[in-house]
Amino acid sequence: MSLSDLVLSLADNKQMLGLRYAEWATRAPSLEADIAAAAMGLDDLGHSRVLYGCLEPLGYDPRTPARESDPATIRNLAYFDEPWTEWSQFVAANAVLDTAFTAVIEACVNGSVEVLRQRLRKMLMEERYHFLHGRSWLRSGIEGAPLLRAWQEALEFFGPPGSDVEGLSMGPEQMRTRLEEQLETKAPDVVIHWNLWDPLRRRAAEGAIDDHTFAMLRGLEEKKYAPPSAPPPARVR
Amino acid sequence: MSKSKNGYRRVSGDAVEYEVFARKARVDPLHLVGSVVAPDADLAMAYARATYDEERWCEMAIVRKADVIRLWSPGEQ
Repeated sequence: MSLSDLVLSLADNKQMLGLRYAEWATRAPSLEADIAAAAMGLDDLGHSRVLYGCLEPLGYDPRTPARESDPATIRNLAYFDEPWTEWSQFVAANAVLDTAFTAVIEACVNGSVEVLRQRLRKMLMEERYHFLHGRSWLRSGIEGAPLLRAWQEALEFFGPPGSDVEGLSMGPEQMRTRLEEQLETKAPDVVIHWNLWDPLRRRAAEGAIDDHTFAMLRGLEEKKYAPPSAPPPARVR
Repeated sequence: MSKSKNGYRRVSGDAVEYEVFARKARVDPLHLVGSVVAPDADLAMAYARATYDEERWCEMAIVRKADVIRLWSPGEQ
């Protein structure tokens, strides 16, 4: 597991988190929550762009052409495979998973790799408001199942005990402690099958994002709305 | 706290109104840019930032509307 592999997984998860947030921009419980969902979605999509841009300076870009045809090559957690149908899924992702990703970003910013130290710092300022939003909604009370699943997948994202990634200031155990401190609670008891854990996708579950979302990521959904008479885009040499 | 048909709790059930103040430069006075409704200060901060972050403010602050002491209001003087 290289640092680039971790950064790509973080980028893919941030992209999916941003998309799932955006899907709730007209369905949240209040107008303010709608706007916050849209704003946080934009933030996380922007963060994913910054993270993708770090791959080349890191010296190794793990992205392959298979990402155009195989949704299972996108390195997102299973939590983002399907659109959320309940607000409690949004809140659990916002409070637990978004904060878990922030813990990894903190480990990058406080780590030893200069490009990550410089480029990811601003994300922490923006993430402060995601955290406040998620923690407040979490305190209002949500269903247990999405929360338990979010915790499980956060711990899977951190990786198995002892699997520290070179260049980061924290390993999986420290990240878990950081998440517990932030959310002011102990992680629930969850069973993680590390023997099934995929080190590239950082998840134990099989599966992949739904077809509609995958088509959207590839830009195919946009093409449906192009005028039928529109000429093909000119090739840029 | 009220619940919607989808079962989740609505913010507005027992929410508080907060006034949002901001300024673009240190030399400018803080001025009222709007308001948000939220059940606590954490969420109000997140909402204020999401709603009024279009411009490059150098400072933003929120105050519970109920904490503003009014000497008089429109039509009372």
